[in-house]
Amino acid sequence: MINRLLIANRGEIVARIIRTCKELGVDTVAVYSEADKHAPYLDQADDAVLIGPANPMQSYLNIETLIQTAQRTGADAVHPGYGFLSERGAFAEAVEQAGLIWVGPSAKVLKAISSKCYCRHIAAGVQVPVIPGTLDPVSDGETVAEYGHEQGWPIFLKLDKGGGGKGIEIINNESEAAEVLQRASRIGQMAFGSGDCYIEQVVHHPRHIEVQFLADKHGNCVCLGERECSVQRRHQKIIEEAPSVVVTDEDRKRLFDRARSIVLKIGYEGAGTIENLRSIDGNYYFMEINARLQVEHPVTEYLTGVDIVKWQLLIASGEEINFSQADVKMNGHAIEARVYAEDPETFVPSPGTITSLSLPETDSQLRIDHALKENGSVPPFYDPLLAKVIAWGTERSEATNRLIEALADFQIEGIKTTIPVNLAILKRPEFLAGNIDTGFIDNILRNT
Amino acid sequence: MEKNVNAILPGLCARVVVEVGDNVTKGQEIAVINCMKTEYSVASEYNGVVKEVLSKEWDELQVGDPMVVLEVEG
Repeated sequence: MINRLLIANRGEIVARIIRTCKELGVDTVAVYSEADKHAPYLDQADDAVLIGPANPMQSYLNIETLIQTAQRTGADAVHPGYGFLSERGAFAEAVEQAGLIWVGPSAKVLKAISSKCYCRHIAAGVQVPVIPGTLDPVSDGETVAEYGHEQGWPIFLKLDKGGGGKGIEIINNESEAAEVLQRASRIGQMAFGSGDCYIEQVVHHPRHIEVQFLADKHGNCVCLGERECSVQRRHQKIIEEAPSVVVTDEDRKRLFDRARSIVLKIGYEGAGTIENLRSIDGNYYFMEINARLQVEHPVTEYLTGVDIVKWQLLIASGEEINFSQADVKMNGHAIEARVYAEDPETFVPSPGTITSLSLPETDSQLRIDHALKENGSVPPFYDPLLAKVIAWGTERSEATNRLIEALADFQIEGIKTTIPVNLAILKRPEFLAGNIDTGFIDNILRNT
Repeated sequence: MEKNVNAILPGLCARVVVEVGDNVTKGQEIAVINCMKTEYSVASEYNGVVKEVLSKEWDELQVGDPMVVLEVEG
């Protein structure tokens, strides 16, 4: 078993991982940049090490420094959290080569699945429907124009190595094809080191349905239910819930079977997520694999009672999953709201100092994952996610009401937050009726 | 006389898109700031010529930090 874990990340996820480590008796090493030197979770870790300036290139993204810090502090494992280096094959490789345990799928797997076209081939190869489009990158504007001409406009052009909502371009007609392809390739080359782009057809009014899975080194793969994350803005999730109101038992069984066949084919070990789109006519298409602990994992933990971080650590230590798919019970309903440091009207980021903070009381039905404190700073250098508020209820309406109450009680001053947006969404009749798709927020904004 | 183009948000300098000697017009994009992982364009408030570039990629910025110095008429 892992003895001492270095957490190569910042913010709420560090506090989250430390909590499970304490339960398991695993020592923790937190790292921090100059901008995070007063972060509250640094006191909870067994060791906390300054790794560099605010600039993430010299701190949270600096592989050499992170490896040296792990070795110097006697860590035997590295947890990358989400974002930053969490899905970077080169980091996993450096950790493996230093003789440390990497908490996540192997470097080899990470490198392979960083290509969306590779994943589309894998899925198609095990008879899982992918979003219609090309399985391979397109070479020139002419090919793109031909495709659109045959299948109809608009089409999406996606970067093979893109991520985080970046590298998705829409092409509306033939005359744009060459130019958009050129621009997307250039962006991809700069941001992801590859300009390869492939085509996806537009799925109208899609819902985002993802499957959480655990896979161990012994060939076991168990799915922990689905999450619906259709409430998004600029491809950033805002509200996540489980179960999804549209996923039937039959759908669920099929989605689990599909996830398992993809995961086992790839040889993936650890926790991960298969993202799918559901079309308005009820078809599900494989979209991509998220090879990390996801921001919205607490929703699944509430529903199943499974501690996903604990299983990440156990699997990385070589343990076998000791329960079967039939043992996974989904109990009640859970909803998460992400609170961002942004102006609720303009969505302009709002970094600064928290002058006053009062959080609602948490219990077995309300969880708040955060790294906030009074007089604490919210630096302008990193992701705007401030906190995740997660409510559980025996049914959806109960969970929603609990979440609304909690958000109304969430008092934070000194910076602006998206709490008013969260509340507005949760109170919309369409949301309460479960009538949502990925265009939901844009529709609300257009109509208010 | 000299006029500065300043950071409009705190964050990291993503890039400066002009070079010394460039003619710039009012409203033209001069630099881009990455604030909380979102990019924001910084425009010139003047017509002028770039005299000095003070910021480079990844520099930490506070609101009001000068990023570029312009020589403007008047």
